[in-house]
Amino acid sequence: MSRLPRASGHFRTSYAQDFRLIQTPLERRWLAALLVALLTFPFIASPFLTDLASQALLAMVGAMALMLLTGFAGQVSLGHAGLLAAGAFTAGILFRETGAPFWMTLPAAALVGAFLGVVFGLPSLRLRGLYLAVSTLALHFLVAYVGGEYESKRGFSTGIVIDPPVIAGKAVTDPRAWYFILLTAAVLTLLVCLNLLRSRSGRAWAAIRANETVAEALGIGVAANKLLAFVISSMLTSLAGALFAYYRGFVSVEAFSLFLSIQYVAMIIIGGMGSVLGAILGAVFVTLFPYLIEAVMQLLPGAGAYAGVMFAVNYAAFGVVMILFLVLEPQGLVGIWRRVQTYFLLWPFKHKPVAGARR
Amino acid sequence: MAELEVEHLRLSFGGLTVLDGISFTVEPAELFVLIGPNGAGKTSVFNCISGIYPGKGRILFKGRDITRWSPRARAKLGIARTFQHSELFPHMNVLDNIMVGRHARIDTRPWAEALSTPGVRRAEIAHRAAIERIIEFVELEGVRYADAGSLPFGTQKIVGLARALALEPSLLLLDEPSAGLSRDERDDLARFILRIKHELKLPMIWIEHDMQMVADLADRIHVLDYGRTLASGDPQSVLSNEAVINAYLGKA
Repeated sequence: MSRLPRASGHFRTSYAQDFRLIQTPLERRWLAALLVALLTFPFIASPFLTDLASQALLAMVGAMALMLLTGFAGQVSLGHAGLLAAGAFTAGILFRETGAPFWMTLPAAALVGAFLGVVFGLPSLRLRGLYLAVSTLALHFLVAYVGGEYESKRGFSTGIVIDPPVIAGKAVTDPRAWYFILLTAAVLTLLVCLNLLRSRSGRAWAAIRANETVAEALGIGVAANKLLAFVISSMLTSLAGALFAYYRGFVSVEAFSLFLSIQYVAMIIIGGMGSVLGAILGAVFVTLFPYLIEAVMQLLPGAGAYAGVMFAVNYAAFGVVMILFLVLEPQGLVGIWRRVQTYFLLWPFKHKPVAGARR
Repeated sequence: MAELEVEHLRLSFGGLTVLDGISFTVEPAELFVLIGPNGAGKTSVFNCISGIYPGKGRILFKGRDITRWSPRARAKLGIARTFQHSELFPHMNVLDNIMVGRHARIDTRPWAEALSTPGVRRAEIAHRAAIERIIEFVELEGVRYADAGSLPFGTQKIVGLARALALEPSLLLLDEPSAGLSRDERDDLARFILRIKHELKLPMIWIEHDMQMVADLADRIHVLDYGRTLASGDPQSVLSNEAVINAYLGKA
């Protein structure tokens, strides 16, 4: 993932500099500002907004995991909700049956995720594109079925209730504490993704995505690296599912419908395929979107009359936005961001110099 | 001992025989050129050597029988190749394209990569330095960070060559490296090939249609026609061979 430095007068003089995630002093300053903003946010914002931010952070973990798999390794998956459900149910069932604390249920969820990653990934060795998507879809229903069976057989037909995790002798119920837990999870996921993408595995995934035959001829283990992408993505997703279970304090199959998978796919498309930043932007956008629509509806005259059709309007608007992005901005939000960035970087000029004119 | 021995290589797709018992050997540091008309089976020979097509017969590399080996295992052993249409990864920059070619020589573990351990950093930096030497070798310094897909075709071919060199190969397969190149670019290419031969002492199999280049540079020429060997030997005798002139070169 080595790229051209995005500032004039900034020259790299060592290979170590080439490998760094933060390149310029300006980038460091912006990042520090962002960090300060993120850390102070829950103290300024209302509990409702803090909860919203927490939801977005949770979605980011799942979206980055899916981006790793689909946007970078090129493996389409519609089973994302199934993996989230697997993590949530692992945490829920372990808690219900054994009373295990969260520091045991989270690793267990990761293990289950890794195992399911292999299972979800095996079809990818033979299938591509739409066919692979359908096979992952089948597994989604399998996980949902197992979860549903557990619920009804054990008499939790409305869902499994989970107690909040206990950290340092205190139950975590405060929205602010949750915000920080989920922020940590999102930042760690981001680092894991960026680290993988700038090293050998990330390059192998990009090569496989572009051309499997060539990748194989260059000495890349295509099968092993595909499975690796599935395993890592599924582990992260499953962890996100377990965190979701604890955050909501409640696990139920209804929460993990096919629509949730579609929402995650929408996040990486709207955000911008093949970009980690895209996954983050997409997660924020898709999480906030229904609230945005609601807010707009409230502003319309006679708002009370529309309350009943809110759901329908939400779905329809979501569909329209999806189509608009696919048609008008296939690079997603990150494409817009890059254009803005380039504009300021090149100002007062309009175009980049032609890349790679030899001599 | 010969570097590569190909014995009675046969390949067919259904009823179509593509290669019909080809045999040749490549000596250390030899520039071995494969020529022949379109569809003679030149690229198929490459695909058999690099393991993409399952050919019948025997392929020995440094005395080891690699006929049943996977493409990956062969790459690890040091068989690197370029492709006719360069087949770069268009959305990756030149540096990453070449780094992909080095994949088999990097041995970091994914779990360590995820945490970016000091060991992984050291390895990345060391391999980055090695890649830079190759970039210098083929004079791609100006386009290091450019997306491979945005480069002119001739430059892409050179990046393809660099990607093959990144493996630190012990045998190099060049599939029509000069096709689509301008006169100047061909001069550069010839220079690189000679430097690879004399400085890196690599044996090469080179598929080529530019007879001037072949006559000037080749140590030995092997002519294929309809999957059979038409002639084989030093440039002088092969290029004046009656059968070769009739099948491929034509009369002036």
